[in-house]
Amino acid sequence: MRWGLVLAILVIWEAVTRLGSLNPIIVAPASVVLLQVFRILFGDTTVPNFYLNTAITLGEVIASYLITIVLGVFLGFVFASSKLIGDAFEPILLVLYAIPKIILYPLLILILGIGALPNIVFGVLLGVFVVIFNTSAGLRQVEPNYLRLAHSLGYSERAIFFKVVLPAAAPTIMAGLRLGFGYTIIGVITAELLVVSVGLGWLIDNATVNYLTAQLYALVLITLGIGVAGNSLFGAIERRWVK
Amino acid sequence: MTRREHQLSLLIRASAIVLLLVLWELAVRLGWIDKLFLAGPIEAALRLGPVASKVAPDILATLVEFGSAFCIGIALSVTLGFAINQSPYATAVFRPLLVLGVTVPKVTLLPLFLLWFGIDKTPIIIFGALSGFFPMVVNVMAAGTEVKPNQLLLARAMGYGRFDILRKVTFPAMLPVLSSGMFYACNAAMMGVFIVELGIARQGLGVVVHGYAVTFRTPDLYAAVLLTASITVAINMALWYLARYFGRWRR
Repeated sequence: MRWGLVLAILVIWEAVTRLGSLNPIIVAPASVVLLQVFRILFGDTTVPNFYLNTAITLGEVIASYLITIVLGVFLGFVFASSKLIGDAFEPILLVLYAIPKIILYPLLILILGIGALPNIVFGVLLGVFVVIFNTSAGLRQVEPNYLRLAHSLGYSERAIFFKVVLPAAAPTIMAGLRLGFGYTIIGVITAELLVVSVGLGWLIDNATVNYLTAQLYALVLITLGIGVAGNSLFGAIERRWVK
Repeated sequence: MTRREHQLSLLIRASAIVLLLVLWELAVRLGWIDKLFLAGPIEAALRLGPVASKVAPDILATLVEFGSAFCIGIALSVTLGFAINQSPYATAVFRPLLVLGVTVPKVTLLPLFLLWFGIDKTPIIIFGALSGFFPMVVNVMAAGTEVKPNQLLLARAMGYGRFDILRKVTFPAMLPVLSSGMFYACNAAMMGVFIVELGIARQGLGVVVHGYAVTFRTPDLYAAVLLTASITVAINMALWYLARYFGRWRR
């Protein structure tokens, strides 16, 4: 059914572009776009350095996500470790979360210059909040009775943390990490498209300004595909680890 | 929490903010970061008034665009969400696709939007609506699972009509998740609106910020960003408290 839906969209897309009177600059037929996807993936020379630019984008995403994980989990632990610190800083964090981060991007460009660095930082900015919130919420919502039981069984603080708190918090933390991954990808690609310098964003922009419509659609599809692939990879890892 | 602890946490919060502001001001005053790239908080605050009065039409434009985008996104997602909720089969088919829609970088579609809708208000509103649509529709579907079949059965057994069940059982059960969905959708829709404004639009706060940034009018830039941040935070926090208000019966 789901694949049927995708197929139906492709057929309608093809039919509308073939039969309708739409300008070919605006919409390319589905078959042409799909053909273009294959040609790009197997070394079409009209797209300059496709694999190099893809590697740059992926590198930015990975760097950004690593920073997001480390920073987010660390801050989540700090906020969960003491009720006082949590109460003091969580409202600030909430307000920061409520700012659409995109409006800070021009400031990042100004301070960090144009290139990969502001893209990485912007990805962190978008992804880190949900990791912090979920980590600290997961650690704090551990059933108090479990802790009491562990205490009365004579577990050490260390053992309680590793045997009780962490396993109980793991699903929430993992959910945060997955959402954070999605946001990080969105952040990096948004940043690449807004101020164009390198990576897939540059390729997409290049196709746009040169009116290479089929190539543009193909590149958009490939980028979306990378996002989907990343998310499903993460879903698979999560299913293995969290039961 | 005791009163004393509450005061202490307030004190820590206030001193952290003050410390940050002082560091920020010092970074500019002592020349750690070039004045061209960073304006101090005092300087930025002083420019707040003049910038605000100058960009009033842009604020209005952004609010209108955001308002329309948000309303369209919410209306579509609530309609679709409720329709899908009616059938478990439809839920099984559409849920994974719609969840995917939240996490996929929709911004890649932006160049296509330019081709389809030009550079006027239309792409802003449509992209904002699209950004708000996905988080909301996922939340509407999640809200559907909050309605417990037993409660429906009980209401029917007590002779409630269809409309009464909807009003007294279904809707109150869904409200907490719906309203927190509004909070996320609002945030996402704002992001969508500002992305298009920063990228391609001709009027709006994003355009103002972009203009100040590329012409290195740094104090004005910081003032405009502060202004934008305060407006958006005010709207978002209002929705946040609304969500807490509607969710209070659960705690």
